[in-house]
Amino acid sequence: MKRMNWLGLGFLAPALLVIALFFLAPVIMTGFFAFTNMSTATGITGGDYMLNKSALRALGDAGLPDATLEKLEDAGYAVDEKGLAALAAQIDQETADEFARLHGGESFATRRDVERALKDLRQNRIRKTRDRKAAAELFKRSVLNERFGTEAEFRAALTAGGIAPRDHDQITAQAYTGWVWTTENVELLFTLPSTWRYAANTAIYVAFTLSFNVGFGLFLAISTFYLPAAQAATFRAIWFLPRILPPVLYVLMWKWFTWDTGFLSTVTGWFGMSPKNWMLDSPTHAWTTIVLINGFVGASMGMILFASAIRAIPASMLHASEVDGANRWQQVRYIILPQLRWPILFTTAYQTLSLLTSFEYILLATDGGPGRATEVWALAAYHTALNNYGGNLQYGLGAAFALVLVIIGILASLFYLRLFNFRQLVGKPLIEG
Amino acid sequence: MRHNYRNWPILLVLGIFSTPLLIMLVFQVVDSFTLKQPGSLIPSGFTLEHFRFLWEELDTGRAGIWRVTLNTFIFATTTATVVTAIALTAGYALSRLNFPARGFFLAGLIVLHAFPTVTLIIAIFLILQILGLYDTLIGVIIVKTALELPFGIWIMKGFYDTVPWEIEMAGVQDGASRLRVWWQLVLPQVQPGLMAILIFSFLSGWSEFILPLVLAPGSDAQVLATYMQALILDDTKADFDLFKAVGLFYALPVVVIYVIFQNKLMNIYGGGSKG
Repeated sequence: MKRMNWLGLGFLAPALLVIALFFLAPVIMTGFFAFTNMSTATGITGGDYMLNKSALRALGDAGLPDATLEKLEDAGYAVDEKGLAALAAQIDQETADEFARLHGGESFATRRDVERALKDLRQNRIRKTRDRKAAAELFKRSVLNERFGTEAEFRAALTAGGIAPRDHDQITAQAYTGWVWTTENVELLFTLPSTWRYAANTAIYVAFTLSFNVGFGLFLAISTFYLPAAQAATFRAIWFLPRILPPVLYVLMWKWFTWDTGFLSTVTGWFGMSPKNWMLDSPTHAWTTIVLINGFVGASMGMILFASAIRAIPASMLHASEVDGANRWQQVRYIILPQLRWPILFTTAYQTLSLLTSFEYILLATDGGPGRATEVWALAAYHTALNNYGGNLQYGLGAAFALVLVIIGILASLFYLRLFNFRQLVGKPLIEG
Repeated sequence: MRHNYRNWPILLVLGIFSTPLLIMLVFQVVDSFTLKQPGSLIPSGFTLEHFRFLWEELDTGRAGIWRVTLNTFIFATTTATVVTAIALTAGYALSRLNFPARGFFLAGLIVLHAFPTVTLIIAIFLILQILGLYDTLIGVIIVKTALELPFGIWIMKGFYDTVPWEIEMAGVQDGASRLRVWWQLVLPQVQPGLMAILIFSFLSGWSEFILPLVLAPGSDAQVLATYMQALILDDTKADFDLFKAVGLFYALPVVVIYVIFQNKLMNIYGGGSKG
């Protein structure tokens, strides 16, 4: 019977593989990425070593001696293979050959020296001053603006340039263009005033949408319960549509409804009001639209769950209450609602988590606007890491934003596991091996 | 209980609340096929002009509609097929087979099922870049499959749980291997589940917006969702009739599936996967 074990794991293996790679790995990697300064500028896979003017300035500010800075900037001129090849390409091969014969391997301190050497070539003098200047530039050897693939190469270049070894570490760190580990992101999260704003926005968003979802879901479930089957089915079908329609189309319908060329503006136009964008003209309107957009989708989940719970109530109980003279409100209050306690708790728990992290509808509708009024935490993570106007996408900081949600997600999922007593679902299989 | 009370107050309140939604739905269809005077909501004539994107290129510099539709179809069907295939075996394993750490896997599955996947998008974006799958359809398909799996397995396990185990017992008693019992006896019993997951994951893939937007923004891997959103954002003067026609075209398979499988779908969505 040992074989059964392997069959079970074998059956599970494909699922485990895919889930581990693209579900669990991202969870862990979010944690790693959150502690890096990864961005468009640093790249993802690693970096090169390169000093440019601004890096030099930063080094100067950090207290690197001026003498070293000068050396970094101007390491002199050397007649080497690379320079000669460039010279051959720019002037001609003969000139390059002669220059190599006379001065190959030499170093010059200033450009003027190089120019003089070029002028003094016997057979192939470069006559024009401008050409000489350009040719001399080809031999300039500076660490500046040159890309080095590895740290060793960069340090070798520093040594060759005569930079004092005690400064090497500082310069190398500054020159690295790749990402490094850092805790800056977490500090930023706590110090930036905008993150608190996003947290507050998220609280508003979750609280209002959730109330609408549960409240309106309850209303739909109870009211359709009292209607004849055909009418009830019609209303349920209508209210189920927002959930099943693609989000892009669903939000488009709302845009048409609220924008300045759309329904609301046309109708108010009949009464002499000038058209305006009801979705984006003020934060209050933006929030109202956001809550309604999400609420119309979310209510259907409550509707379905509550409706099936109501159908499970024994009809005799309801009949008995009517015989006892209960009006409709009393019937709802004392018979139906008590039966819905668990479905309501479940819907609330489930939707809190999914609203906390969802940003699809907000992204499509207001994109966080007007200003940053409807920018919720999850949308801020998206904007920081994957789509911002500055162009420099801050993967590290975005991951730090996301990490907060991932941690909340894990904790909440574990909590639900306890709350809804899933242990019975984890019971032994009917046939075991 | 239904006959002792009057229904019209309920109908009235429900009707009022449903009006905005109904207006949106009705005009979504009507506007796609009609002409209107500016400032009016009443159609003045029938036209197919809004569907011009089907036979002529819109000057958006993007892939044509048919290419995009094909992408969307490949994306949705591949995702649905792979999810269903993997869920079929994994669901059976979790429902019926005993193996080491089964309880752990099951608890893990429930946690994953509740876990909000959209928070992982940044890490997934970076992982795809590292793997070189960024901006490819195949990358988005793999990711979507992985994220859809916990839900699929969970539903499938539920279907396996309802199959009477006497069927399998009989098969095993008669000397069939467990693999053969699963293939020949159990699988036919869970065909409704198989259909349910196929439909559900197809719809979910067809509607997916965020994953293609972030993971495959290039024009080669465009899907209808990103195509339509880009169209809306590009346009300086919002041509809602065109957008609605595109939307109608986009939603056609969804509506057809919805009409056919309505009740089945309501049951699955009861398990819930979006807010």
